[in-house]
Amino acid sequence: MSLFKKFHLLLKNKYVLILAILFSLFIGITTAQEDVSCYHCHTKVVTEFRNNIHYDKGFNCANCHGGADTSNASVISYSVMSGDFIGRPTRNNITDICSKCHVKETEDYKTSIHWDAIKKGHPEAATCTDCHGIHEIRAIKDPNSSSNHQNSPVTCAKCHSNKEMMSAWYYGIKADRFDTYKESFHWRALDKGYTLVATCADCHENHKTKSHTDPTSSTYSENLPKTCGKENCHAGVNFDAKVAGGLVHDKESLHTGELVFNKTNMDPHMKDYFLGPFDLAYWIAIFFKILTTTVIGFFTGMVVLDFLSRLRIHRRF
Amino acid sequence: MSRQKLIEISDSKKIGDRNMGEIFFKRFTLNQLAQHWIMIGTFMLLVVSGMPLKFPDAWWSPVIINILGGFSMRTQIHHAAGIGMVILGVYHVVYHVFVDKESLLDRKVWPTLKDAKDFWQTILFYLGKADHPKYGRYSWKEKFDYWGAFWGMVMLCVTGLIMLFPFQAMEIIPYAYVHLSTIVHTDEALLATLFIFIVHWWNVHYSPEVFPMSKAWLTGNLSEEQMKHEHPLEYEEVMRQMNEKGDRSFSR
Repeated sequence: MSLFKKFHLLLKNKYVLILAILFSLFIGITTAQEDVSCYHCHTKVVTEFRNNIHYDKGFNCANCHGGADTSNASVISYSVMSGDFIGRPTRNNITDICSKCHVKETEDYKTSIHWDAIKKGHPEAATCTDCHGIHEIRAIKDPNSSSNHQNSPVTCAKCHSNKEMMSAWYYGIKADRFDTYKESFHWRALDKGYTLVATCADCHENHKTKSHTDPTSSTYSENLPKTCGKENCHAGVNFDAKVAGGLVHDKESLHTGELVFNKTNMDPHMKDYFLGPFDLAYWIAIFFKILTTTVIGFFTGMVVLDFLSRLRIHRRF
Repeated sequence: MSRQKLIEISDSKKIGDRNMGEIFFKRFTLNQLAQHWIMIGTFMLLVVSGMPLKFPDAWWSPVIINILGGFSMRTQIHHAAGIGMVILGVYHVVYHVFVDKESLLDRKVWPTLKDAKDFWQTILFYLGKADHPKYGRYSWKEKFDYWGAFWGMVMLCVTGLIMLFPFQAMEIIPYAYVHLSTIVHTDEALLATLFIFIVHWWNVHYSPEVFPMSKAWLTGNLSEEQMKHEHPLEYEEVMRQMNEKGDRSFSR
């Protein structure tokens, strides 16, 4: 009888088989690494966590989720879920977890319109994890980070281009913020790989995001000169705040074609969009569209006529 | 253009005996030719570096930007060429208004009633219902080219400078007009590009009459044949003046 056949017979004994499986499981669990007690069930999450900047700095699951920071000798995770274990934080108390270390950022965030909304009972308003990621929190400077400067438009658009979320009665924010930003040179440059341009957070602030109607907001019309004139942006430029106080998300007034003839009671920086009583800027834009179309259309027609006439006669004189 | 030479008689050493004595009609001075050459150079650079931004979603947009050496290089090329074109425009106006001694009203480039008639007659000619109009020094097409370019230069230079210095511009004009500049600038640029590539190049390159190209933009001259064909009224005028003088070589 060969050695192989002996081994085969041994395995036919089901008790031996069960013992072998249990033994290998035991070896697997006891030799597991630090975060692996969670890994067996929360495989996807822990895999994501390995890209997390906190993982690189030596944090583990329990630092955020609470519970006992035990070694992994236990097969049962019961002991992990003891003590101050919170499990899945609600959207209202994510800030509590982050504020344990990131005090300044949380303070800033708590002045924002996002936090206001959460306090008013709209938990879908943005909190830490919506911008920074949940388990895959990368360093801000990492180009793959959702909160990296160049990714900020896409990250904000996750919510701000969502019509249902934005047009809900309690927000009433336009859902075309990203689309109108795309009209700007900032986006066109960014899109082509030139990252030294303003993205959402540069003007709206990253943590202290406030409504443009709030006088302490960076996008309040009086504060725009300071915001646009930041160092590394359009620094050293003196300009009249009232003049600059336009709607920076360009497209809407000139492209939607909404003519506003009655400008009484209008926001002063909304008024800046129009000169005189005739919405001159709008009409000038229309004029140039018509000019381009007619001139090119007409003269292309002339070229075609010229060409056709040459098919009939070969000489002009 | 009374102060400049009207004709030039070919030099046998340069052209060869075969063409000796052939008359060339002076069409553009070296100054005008150089302006046109600089215009071509800056215009082409501006089109190539500007159109990827007018159509940012087109497949060729990133391709061209990469060829130009990245986005910031594209911007620098566009700004440099644009400033070159602004200087050219200013030079053109200053030279032809203040330096050129000929009275402004005597210039043959102003549109006249004859141009309107010629324009209508050209359409009728294309439809086979009239003879081809006889042009003087500048045909209505050439005048339209010139004034179209003039208008386009003014529009593009003004809006371009507004966009180059947006915050300085905002001290004078509202923000809406800075944004409007981007619309006017790109629309005018598209108009100019299409007009040059379709209409102007048809007239001076592709048209069977001049194919592969009219050499006037390189030499500044027209041959007697071309002159009779394209500018018969001017040809008659020049010939009349020469006969009065009784000397075919007065211009040398």
